[in-house]
Amino acid sequence: MTTTTKSGTDLDLIAHLLRRAGFNPTWDELQEHAALGYDGAVDRLFNPGPADPMPSDVIRRYHPDQTITQIAPSSGSVWMYRMSTTKTPFEEKIALFWHRIFATGQTKLIQGKVMLTQIEMFRKYGLGSFRDLLIQLSQDPAMILWLDNQDNHKDNINENYGREILELFAMGVGNYTEEDIKECSRAFTGWTIANMPYMSIRMRNNTLRPYGYVAWQYKFDPEDHDDGEKTFLGETGNFNGEDVIDIICKNPATPAFIARHIYHHFVADELPVPQWPFEGPKDPAAIQLMVDAYFANDYSIGAMLRAMFESDIFKSEEKRHARIKSPAELIVGTLRMAGGFDWPTQEIFKATAACGYMGQSLLAPVSVEGWMGGDDWISTGSMVQRINFASDTVGDHNKKGIRQIVDRVAERHPEGNVDPEELLDDLLELAGAIHVESDTLAGIVTYASQQGGIDPRTEDGAAKIASILQLIVSTREYQLV
Amino acid sequence: MTTKTGTSLELEYRDTNGFGAAQGGRGYYLPVDLAVRSDGRIYVLSRGDAVQGGNGIKITDIEHNWYDVISGRGRSPGEFISATAIVFDANDRIFMADEELNRITIFDADHSYVTHWGTQGSGDGEFDGPSGLAFDRDGNLLVVDDKNHRIQRYTPEGGYISSIGSHGSGDGEFNFPWGVTVAPDGNIYVADWRNDRIQRFTHDGEFIDAHGTTGLGENQFHRPSNTAVDTDGNIFVADWANQRVQVFDKSWNFQTSIRGAGELSVWAAEYIDANADEKEARSSFDPYPELDVEDPHEVSARTEPYFWDPVSLALFDDTRLLVLETGRHRFQVWEKV
Repeated sequence: MTTTTKSGTDLDLIAHLLRRAGFNPTWDELQEHAALGYDGAVDRLFNPGPADPMPSDVIRRYHPDQTITQIAPSSGSVWMYRMSTTKTPFEEKIALFWHRIFATGQTKLIQGKVMLTQIEMFRKYGLGSFRDLLIQLSQDPAMILWLDNQDNHKDNINENYGREILELFAMGVGNYTEEDIKECSRAFTGWTIANMPYMSIRMRNNTLRPYGYVAWQYKFDPEDHDDGEKTFLGETGNFNGEDVIDIICKNPATPAFIARHIYHHFVADELPVPQWPFEGPKDPAAIQLMVDAYFANDYSIGAMLRAMFESDIFKSEEKRHARIKSPAELIVGTLRMAGGFDWPTQEIFKATAACGYMGQSLLAPVSVEGWMGGDDWISTGSMVQRINFASDTVGDHNKKGIRQIVDRVAERHPEGNVDPEELLDDLLELAGAIHVESDTLAGIVTYASQQGGIDPRTEDGAAKIASILQLIVSTREYQLV
Repeated sequence: MTTKTGTSLELEYRDTNGFGAAQGGRGYYLPVDLAVRSDGRIYVLSRGDAVQGGNGIKITDIEHNWYDVISGRGRSPGEFISATAIVFDANDRIFMADEELNRITIFDADHSYVTHWGTQGSGDGEFDGPSGLAFDRDGNLLVVDDKNHRIQRYTPEGGYISSIGSHGSGDGEFNFPWGVTVAPDGNIYVADWRNDRIQRFTHDGEFIDAHGTTGLGENQFHRPSNTAVDTDGNIFVADWANQRVQVFDKSWNFQTSIRGAGELSVWAAEYIDANADEKEARSSFDPYPELDVEDPHEVSARTEPYFWDPVSLALFDDTRLLVLETGRHRFQVWEKV
């Protein structure tokens, strides 16, 4: 692979970190973090300033449908605004990570409000103790109704949540028995929502009548809780849900399972999750590194991620561009390159809808197993969507982010027309330290050479630069992160 | 200094009119404004969303009679994309604003489309996101020019006359204003949305005063969206993000604040009666569950009787206040006592 950035390894490494812990970085983000050095940049991720996203009252005023209805594109757009405008993209990447694992969907829940509340919970607890996160998850109304825990009664258990917390959320197949599932389910009896009968029937009837959706509120019903003795993962006691979560969290299988997810999401594409019981992790040393950090830091997810980001495994050349961008990563990164949104616009629906067309409907995962990722993101249809969206987004040189790139090219070349090869070097760097293969680069340089002179200080030159950016975001390499 | 004085004005809950009608028909879906015609019929601007139906100007009355739907989603003449406000002129013609299409649409008293006008921009006679409408005492139309942070005055046919205000937080300046009201005495009240205050102007546009600071207390607002003023000069403020209505006398002395007390409307009760499973489940429904959130918007999201995004107000016979809620697809009726 040919590097096309001017600044060498350090900037490339910072860009690698920011792509994985966020989205395609802007030049300002790159410069800001590069000034801190790599360790300082990692530290900034865990100690960011305010997110300062588009304010929720602004979204609500101009899109009254986005926080209170059941329509996935509307609620997904609230999150799309947040991801494309936040100053703390790592927070959103964490929310995406947990959304993919604790996959919950408004396809069943009908209302988007409770899904957005769950995403906010991921922001708040996603980097903290896994124990705290699992408790929040188990008390999250969207999760309770998604996996039917409102039907998990003292005298008639429903195993759905008890099974999935073990199989999909915390430990993985092969680390518990069917009896453990039953005992786990018993521990979560009585974990329900307020007004459960009415809220449940309205969800099943798929109706906003009579007065729109009433957002759900967690409630513990002691009368419906099985307080009897249980034996779970070899321990016996009158366990409730929190006790079961304690036992789950101290089991070594748990951090190993979460670490593999982290690796899959932040380091390199892993095998699909259903194959994990039969195939070991690609990089056992990386998994062990994170398991050790988990136990040394009170089950901290943030400590696992920090250990990974600071490791030579993560920094290595072979891990760069080793994952296929998820649709959300591709769309948000491209939107941020073009300058994001200053104010609500109908354009947001195009972005959210495109994410769905590419295979990742936000807040509406395909199943409880979430999205597999990796090669699954790519198909003939999704590639067309990817290229069309990215190309359309950066093709307008009047967009704030594109104009900034053009202006920076002009600052570097005050003399007039820019040499095509130098121009490509600049654009790849300014657009986020993007790498392309040498043959790809040659093709784009050829195109630039055919444009008849490109002066970035003219409108014609700015338009030509935007057209070159369109080619860059249409490359195979831009699909990788 | 404003304080609560001797003979306070109070409001008592009387009724609820509405029904979530995302699929169309009787009821509303994401309503954003309402207006009372001279004959007492109530017109509710049901904005809807980009996917489902249920949009249009819905017509009812104080007795829950259901009449008609006019307009609907679209870009053709007489339709709207993001409608924000409606108002009647002295001849019962309907004027409707659309912040996406940047146009004012006129329907005659028989609901037939007449014309539309408006040009997007920031110059005189142009606007960017019309969000509020009111007729002044001369019969000219005040248009809240939201993204240009000003109020413009037009003839009903769209002829530009004058402008009030500019961007800022000083006297007579605005920060994304929303609703506008002309009081019986001719004064102009503007919900200065992002400055968390109400500003008052003379008929001629001279600044009189401003009231409110940011907060949750009395005399404080969070993103007020609209006002109503009765013949005594009492001022009712839709304190939108605080999810309440605050009431003041004409000197801004605080009178009372209401949070909402919605019950099943006639239409809602008919629906519940017709659906046995929901009726049985609702029999144990506690409308005021114990909550673990404090943010007013979140509290309203979980408490059905409370106002949820109370966006617009209208007075009926000068005795009853109609409070329109976008989030609950209804308006509540409160009476002055």
